[in-house]
Amino acid sequence: MKTFTRIAAVAALGALMGTSALAEGLYTPNLAYRTGPFAATGIPLMNGQADYMNMLNARDGGIGGVMIDFDECETGYSTEKGVECYEKTKGKAIVTQPWSTGITLQVLPKSNVDEIPILAPGYGFSPMADGKVFQWAFNTPLSYWDGASIILKYLQDQGDLSGKKIAFLHLDHPFGKEPLPYLEQKAEAQGFELLPIPVGLKEMQNQSAQWLQIRRERPDYVIMWGWGAMNAGAITEAVKTKFPMENMLGVWWSGHDADLKIVGDAGKGYKSVSWSFPNPDAPVMADIKQHVIDAGKSQSNEEEMQGVFYSRGLVISAILAEGIAVAQEHTGKAEISPADLRWGLENLNFTEARLEELGMTGMVPPFSTSCSNHTGHSGGWILEWDGAKFVKASDLIMPDSEAISELEMAKAKEYAEANAPWPVNEDCEM
Amino acid sequence: MLYRTAGQFKTSYQADQALFPVRQDAFLLAVILAFAWVIFPLMASEFAYQTLLIPILIYSLAALGLNILTGYAGQLSLGTAAFMGVGAYACYKLVTLMPWLNPVVAILFSGVFSAGVGVAFGIPSLRIKGFYLAIATLAAQFFLVWLFEKWGWLYNYNASGAIQVPNLEMFGVYVAGPQASSVTQYYVVLAIVTLMTLLCINLTRGNLGRTWKATRDMDIAAELIGINLMRSKLTAFAVSSYVVGVAGALFVFMWRGAAEPNLFDIPLSFRILFIAIIGGLGSVLGNYLGAILIVGLPVVLNTLPEALGIPISSATVEHLNIMIVGSLIIFFLIIEPHGLARLWALIREKLIIWPFPH
Repeated sequence: MKTFTRIAAVAALGALMGTSALAEGLYTPNLAYRTGPFAATGIPLMNGQADYMNMLNARDGGIGGVMIDFDECETGYSTEKGVECYEKTKGKAIVTQPWSTGITLQVLPKSNVDEIPILAPGYGFSPMADGKVFQWAFNTPLSYWDGASIILKYLQDQGDLSGKKIAFLHLDHPFGKEPLPYLEQKAEAQGFELLPIPVGLKEMQNQSAQWLQIRRERPDYVIMWGWGAMNAGAITEAVKTKFPMENMLGVWWSGHDADLKIVGDAGKGYKSVSWSFPNPDAPVMADIKQHVIDAGKSQSNEEEMQGVFYSRGLVISAILAEGIAVAQEHTGKAEISPADLRWGLENLNFTEARLEELGMTGMVPPFSTSCSNHTGHSGGWILEWDGAKFVKASDLIMPDSEAISELEMAKAKEYAEANAPWPVNEDCEM
Repeated sequence: MLYRTAGQFKTSYQADQALFPVRQDAFLLAVILAFAWVIFPLMASEFAYQTLLIPILIYSLAALGLNILTGYAGQLSLGTAAFMGVGAYACYKLVTLMPWLNPVVAILFSGVFSAGVGVAFGIPSLRIKGFYLAIATLAAQFFLVWLFEKWGWLYNYNASGAIQVPNLEMFGVYVAGPQASSVTQYYVVLAIVTLMTLLCINLTRGNLGRTWKATRDMDIAAELIGINLMRSKLTAFAVSSYVVGVAGALFVFMWRGAAEPNLFDIPLSFRILFIAIIGGLGSVLGNYLGAILIVGLPVVLNTLPEALGIPISSATVEHLNIMIVGSLIIFFLIIEPHGLARLWALIREKLIIWPFPH
């Protein structure tokens, strides 16, 4: 009984005071989702992120001589759990990796108060690119508007878009609606007809109504903004209705190997824009195999490591690690603060040479950030499914930065006004 | 021993029908209120506010609203989350259209909109009962969430389709939005929840509550003794939706800070229904006990392994958590099918007659 009361007392105390288990090094929590409806897509990403940091710890003893305390807090992609994790970790975290547009939207307004950088690579709110307004948020290396722009540019290269009809199949959720303002603007400018087709969260696995509409409207192209179960649903439905696969393109989250393996050869020609690409011959892969996989510290496996999502996880951790390294060099101290990390993430410079040094040649396009540009707008590749894996189908395509940055500034300003008082980075001269 | 009622004489009917016929009950409540108003705020961390104290209070209030309709008036509803959504969106529109409005007034006023919507969807209850009514309220659930998605005016045509709580001031202190401190938000929530609970306890003990209970127990008999069923059912829908709407406004404005339409989808309705059922239908206390079990316990369980220093991955903890909470729900429902409130009532009764059981 005595021990029981003691355990209960410890538990109550822990819950009330917030847990503060002491750990060595820089605490970089990840709000992971290995459970819940999106687990299938989450696991390879989380494994990639964790493996890269474990590799740095094993190979180099961390970054700049400090170990990285890479921890996961499970959210199951639920916003409520995400906020719980944020509150739990913010005490000593130097970064927040929210991993869902919903959680990002919740945490974003708090970032000015808590002053912890949010790192949301390739997701979140596109106007976060405006670093003067969103001082603490980073969505490197590409925003959703960049992705939409790259897809349109690629299609333009295949033939003039004016008079064409493009269906925009998207999840009816903040994430899916994100590229709409940009696409609408472009539809008017380039003279194509945009046909937005929303897929409700409850209809993800059964999209027969949406595809009936696509069959009736006969669009020239289908652009897909899907996530989780929606991707597999759309791809199998496209195969069933015999939609020409080469005319279907998805965002980077719609390019998951496992979704296409279901249809195999029938999915040949499906494309997805991406800012990361697996390079099995890269030195970093060998290091991970040696220090992490063979040492039994990973939850991953050989097959998963070949996939697009695993390598994207590696790139995400590499961006964070580089931010830490840049900040350490700038401040001259190893134990950096969240504010130092923000400086680091604002001064990333991924050149070809630096990527080669990191052993990641070809895994991410070169890009750099600044205090006014929190995205980097790296450009991306169009990947194509060849029946067994994704291959590159284009050279690096750059987004239409001018039109995008105008839209970004306007929307960022709108956001700041709606959330006044909203501090803006006045020192940024760029 | 603790609950000895010897010597507490009642000399009038009024004393017999008082809120606390047993003195110890009043004392216990005073202790709980002292904890809620003074001791928790003194020792709680940011984490405790944001994941335990504030959400438990808000979920309890939502369950209380549902309990009035389902537990007291016997009308099964599956649309609670949608009515919460009406409260939240109404509050959002109120504060963005009239930024000078006092936020607490806005929150209390937004319940009026949800009461109106609740009455409109409650009209079918005059003709249909039981499971059929549940399906009719399910229609409210689907329709309203669809409306939150499609009606751009509701979210001020925001590109992401979500609503964001602006910074709101009251007497020079931020009470909502990212600048507000947790302790202020906690006190606002606590004050509103205390007020609402007091209101609901007295409503359910009074004339209105008795007509609701009569309607629940046998509507034909109730009609025969002269109760106007239409008035009884519609007032239950109105009061219930009002409380639920206020809970919805608190949910977004005092806790979440942002909301997307699918937040108010059916899983939230079920969650609140579970709180009400496990806590005990037809009781006020049950909502709090249910919310502690369903909302609070998983959070505490999640922090346990770390607090005890057990190295275990976060995903495994989550899996274990779901299993433990699930089996606890089954366990409690087996030992007392009428919910936690009934369990407490039995314990209390045993304490009163202790040490001489019948």
